[in-house]
Amino acid sequence: MSSRGGKQKKGNVTSEQEEEEQPLQAVLVADSFNRRFFPISKDQPRALLPLGNVAMIDYTLEFLTSTGVQETFVFCCWMSNKIKDHLLKSKWCRPTSPNVVHIITSDLYRSLGDVLRDVDAKNLVRNDFILVYGDVVSNIDVSQALQEHRHRRKVDKNISVMTMVFKESSPGHKTRCEEDDVIVAMDSKSKRVLHYQKTQGLKKLQFPMNIFQHGSDEFEIRHDLLDCHISICSPQVAELFTDNFDYQTRNDFVRGILVNEEILGNQIHLYVTQDGYGARVSNLQMYDSVSLDMVRRWVYPLTPEANFTDQQGQGCTHSRHNVYRGAEVSLGHGSQMEENVLIGRDTSIGANCHISNSVIGNNCTIGDNVVLDRAHMWNNVHVSSNVEIHQSVVCDGAVVKEAVRLNKQCVLAYNVVIGPNLSLPEGTVVSMHHPEEEEEDDDDEFLSDDQEVGHSKDKTRQKAFNPAEVGPEGKGYIWKASMNDTEDEELAQCLWGLVLNPDPESDSESEASEESQDRSRSVSPEIDDVNAFQLEVLGTLQRGLEENIVCDNLVLEINSLKYAYNITLKEVMQILTRVVLEYPFQQQGTQLTTLQYTGSLLPLLKTWSPVFKNYIKRAQDHLDCLSAVEELFLEQDTHQTAMVKVLMKMYQLEILEEEAILKWFSTGATNDKSRQLRKNQGVRRRVRRMSLRRKESAEDESSEEGECGRRGIKTEDLRTV
Amino acid sequence: MPGADKEADLTERIEAFLADLKRGGCGTGPIRGSGETARETTALLRKVTAQARWSSAGDLMEIIRKEGRRMTAAQPSETTVGNMVLRVLKIIREEYARSRGSSEETDQQESLHKLLTSGGLSEENFRQHFVHLKANVIEAINELLTELEGTTDNIAMQALEHIHSNEVIMTVGRSRTVEAFLKDAARKRKFHVIVAECAPFCQGHEMATNLSKASIETTVIADAAIFAVMSRVNKVIIGTQTVLANGGLRAVNGTHTVALAARHHSTPLIVCAPMFKLSPQVLYGQFLRPHGLVFALTCTILSKVNVHCPVFDYVPPELITLFISNIGGNAPSYIYRLMSELYHPEDHDL
Repeated sequence: MSSRGGKQKKGNVTSEQEEEEQPLQAVLVADSFNRRFFPISKDQPRALLPLGNVAMIDYTLEFLTSTGVQETFVFCCWMSNKIKDHLLKSKWCRPTSPNVVHIITSDLYRSLGDVLRDVDAKNLVRNDFILVYGDVVSNIDVSQALQEHRHRRKVDKNISVMTMVFKESSPGHKTRCEEDDVIVAMDSKSKRVLHYQKTQGLKKLQFPMNIFQHGSDEFEIRHDLLDCHISICSPQVAELFTDNFDYQTRNDFVRGILVNEEILGNQIHLYVTQDGYGARVSNLQMYDSVSLDMVRRWVYPLTPEANFTDQQGQGCTHSRHNVYRGAEVSLGHGSQMEENVLIGRDTSIGANCHISNSVIGNNCTIGDNVVLDRAHMWNNVHVSSNVEIHQSVVCDGAVVKEAVRLNKQCVLAYNVVIGPNLSLPEGTVVSMHHPEEEEEDDDDEFLSDDQEVGHSKDKTRQKAFNPAEVGPEGKGYIWKASMNDTEDEELAQCLWGLVLNPDPESDSESEASEESQDRSRSVSPEIDDVNAFQLEVLGTLQRGLEENIVCDNLVLEINSLKYAYNITLKEVMQILTRVVLEYPFQQQGTQLTTLQYTGSLLPLLKTWSPVFKNYIKRAQDHLDCLSAVEELFLEQDTHQTAMVKVLMKMYQLEILEEEAILKWFSTGATNDKSRQLRKNQGVRRRVRRMSLRRKESAEDESSEEGECGRRGIKTEDLRTV
Repeated sequence: MPGADKEADLTERIEAFLADLKRGGCGTGPIRGSGETARETTALLRKVTAQARWSSAGDLMEIIRKEGRRMTAAQPSETTVGNMVLRVLKIIREEYARSRGSSEETDQQESLHKLLTSGGLSEENFRQHFVHLKANVIEAINELLTELEGTTDNIAMQALEHIHSNEVIMTVGRSRTVEAFLKDAARKRKFHVIVAECAPFCQGHEMATNLSKASIETTVIADAAIFAVMSRVNKVIIGTQTVLANGGLRAVNGTHTVALAARHHSTPLIVCAPMFKLSPQVLYGQFLRPHGLVFALTCTILSKVNVHCPVFDYVPPELITLFISNIGGNAPSYIYRLMSELYHPEDHDL
C-alpha cells in the first residue's frame, strides 16, 4: 500500500504533492433512491445501465480515479449483488488498480442521508472526500476545486464544510435537467453560497434579505449553473448528517446548513468550471443527451474508442462524423451511418438502413430498410425489417418485429416483443412487469427500490398480453407510472422527466415552492415513522390525562418524539390535531353520537390548549391546523355538525384566530366534499357571524388598503350566504 | 517471495503508465512532451527486461511485444511509445546476434539475394540461452536512454547553422524542441519570430510568452493570417508529433496550412524532429481526432450542432525542405533509410 501511495503521488504532481500523506477518498452512492427508471431499473440497477455500451458506474469510477482518488467506497442498496458482481469483474478490483474500491451493501439505505450516517458510524473517511452518485458522467478536473477547498479549510479553521462543483451552462442547454434547475446566490469573492434554491419552473423568486446584508459587497445571483452532483465534503458532513437525522438528500443538507449558518457557523462554497463536462443521468431525457454528448466526444477522454474499462473486445474504431464500430460489425449494402453512431461488437445491420445519432449495443441484429434516429439500443436486440425508431430506448433482449414504428420517447424494457405492424404512440413504455403487481408492492416498499420486486409473483399471475397494445405477436404490458398518484409525484416518476410547465398557481411566491418541497419531502420519509409518531403522541396525551402531567412537560415530550421520528413541524401539528380530535373515538369507540362526542372533546381541548398554542403560532400554522380539522371531519361524515363546536371552542380558547378561520373558509374549498362541508349550516352561520363582527370592528378603525381588499371578499361571502 | 513481489510491482507500474497514457493529452492527466513519454517508456521496458521472467531472447521479445501492444493500444495517437518498443526489440536482436558471434555488418547490409534466400533470423534461432544477454540488453537500453536525454540539446546545437541574423522565422503552435532551437540561436543572433497561435487550444500563446522571456522579438498572429504574413518570412521552423515513413508529418492542426503557404512563397520549411519520432507507420489522408470544445454558442443551438476539432494534420513530404534530427539534417526522401537503421523490418507491425 505504502509503495503504491508513493508512486501515485509521482503521477499526480498537480494535486497531491504538497498535501498530507492521507490518500484521497471518495464516497460513491450507487443507488438513486427513487423509481425514476422503473420499469427498466426493476431488472437492472441504474448504475449498471449501459451508456455508450459501458455501465454508468464505470464512468463515475474512471472520473474519480483520474482525479487521483485512491480509495472509493461504493454504497449499494437496490440489487446490490449485481453491482458487486460487476465491480468484482471490472478493472477497478484488480490488485493493480490505483483506486481501491470497497463495496458496502445494505438493504437499509433509503436515502443519501442514511449512507452518510453509515459513513460516519463506520468511521470510513478520515479526510476530505468526494461525494458522487453512481450515475454521474464527468471529465471535470476537480483537483483545483480540491485545492481551493483545502486552502479554505486551512485558513478559516474548518468553517467550510462542502464545496459543490458546478458547470457553467446557460439556460436552455440540453444537459440542463429541468428538475435540477437551480438558482444560486453567491459571494463573488469568497465563492460562498448564500442561497440555493431549485427553481422548479417558478417565474418569481424571493431571496431572504439578510443574505445581502452582511459579508462582502459583491454578490452574484446565477442561473447559468448546472449542478454536476459532485461535491467535495469534509468529514464534518457525515457528522452533520448524523446530528440531523431529518436530512435525507443533499438538498436538505444544503438548505439546512444555509438556514442554520448563524448558529452552526458552517458554510458551503462552490466551484464553477467553464470547460469540462459533468452531468448526472437523472432521467431518460438526460440519458439521451448525455449519451449523445459522449458520442460527440464532449466527455473526452472518456470516448467509446478509448476503452477505458479495459475489457477484452470492447475496443472500437473511430472514423469521420463520429462513427464508431466495434469488432466484427457487418453493414449491409446501401446502409448509411450518417453521424454520431456507435455500434457494438458482433452487430449486423441489413441493407438500406439509415442510422444517425444512435447507440447500438453488442450482438444486435438489425434488418433491412430500418431507420434509427436517436435510438438507444442495448445488447442482444433484434430489429426486423422496415422498422422506424425515433428517440427511444430499447433494452436488452427486446425484439421489434416487422414494420413497427416507435415514436418519440418510447421505452421497451427487457425482453419485450413488439409487433408486427404497429405504431407505438409517443411516450409508450412497455415492460414485462405488469403494472398492477407494482401497486400491490407499493404498500410495503416505501418508495425506495430496495426489495426484490415480485419476481415470483410474475410467474404465478401471468396475464394475457393485449394484442392491441403490443401487436399480435407481442409480449409485454404497457407500463403506466403509478396511476393513483397526484400530479406532483407523477412528474417525479416520469421516466423522461419532461419539461416542467410553469405552474400558474405557484408563480406568486417562493413560499409556494418551499411548500411543494415540503410536500415532496413528506412523501419520502417512511410512512411508518408518521404512524409510529401518531401512536406515541396518543400515548403521551393519554398518560398526561391519567397522571395529570403539566402541559409544558407534554410539549417537551412531543418535541423529543418529533426529533426521534424525524417529523416536520407541520406534520406534528397536523398529527396532534388529529390525535386530539380522534381521542373520544379512541376511548369510547366509534359509535358515539355527535352530542357525546362534543361533550367529551370540548373539555379535552380546554386541558390541552397550551399544547396547541405552543405549536400554532404563525398564520400558516393556523391554516394547517384548520386543514387537519377539515380532513378529519371529512372522514367522519356523521359528525360534521360537531365541527362548528370544535372550531368555536378553539376560537374561544384562542388556539385559532378568527382571521385564519375566515381565510380558510374563503379559500380552502378544493373538492366537492369540502365544499359541502362548508355549506353545512352551522359552519356557515358561525363564520358569517364572525365576519360580521369583524366587519364592524374594521369599520371602526381607519380602513387601510389591504383591509379593504379583505373586506371585499367578506362582503361577497355574505352575499352568497 | 521477493520474485512475486517484484512482478506485482512491475505490473503495477505498467498499469499506472497505461492509465496515464489514456488520460494524457487532456486536462485530467499530467501533460507531458513526447520526449518524456519516450524516456518513460524506455525506462519501463528496461524494468520489464530486468524483472520479468525469461530465459532466452525469444521469450523476452514476446514479453516486450505483448506489453508494447497494450501500451500502443492505450493511446494510439502517441506513436512515440510504439517507436520505443521497436527500438528495444531491435536492441535485443542485435545483442542476441552479437552474443551468438555473428557480426553486425552482415546483419545490417541485407542484399536482395540474401533477403530472398534466408528470410532473416527466424524465431527458433532466438531460443539459445546466453548468460550475459540480460546485462548486455540492459546496458544497450541505458545507452538508448542517454541518447534520448540529449536529443533536444543535440538539435538545438545545430541552430546557428540554420538561423541567421535579422531573419524572420515563422513557427506554429508550441514545440519544446523548436523552443530550445530558437533560444539556442538567440544567444548569438538577433531575429524575429512570428508564432501562429494555433486555435482553438492556442498553444502558440504559451510559446510566444516563453520566447519573449528569452528576449526574442516575438509576434503572435491568428491562424487566418498565416498566408498574408508568409511573404515576409525567411524560414518556417516547426515541430511535429510524428515523422512518417514516407517523410510526411503528422503534426498539430494548422501545420498543413503553413506548409502550403510556405510552398506558395517558396519559403524553406524546416522540421525539428528527434529520431524517436520516426514511426514506421504510413498514413495517407487526414487523421482526425475531434475533441470536445466549449464554445460560447447560444446553447439552445448546441444540441443541433456537431463540433469537430481535428487535432492533427497530415503534411505530405513534398512540402518539407529539411528535417533536423539529433544526428543531423536530412532530406525527407532519406527518412526511409533512417527508419530501416532504427527498426528491424520484422517488427514493423507489433
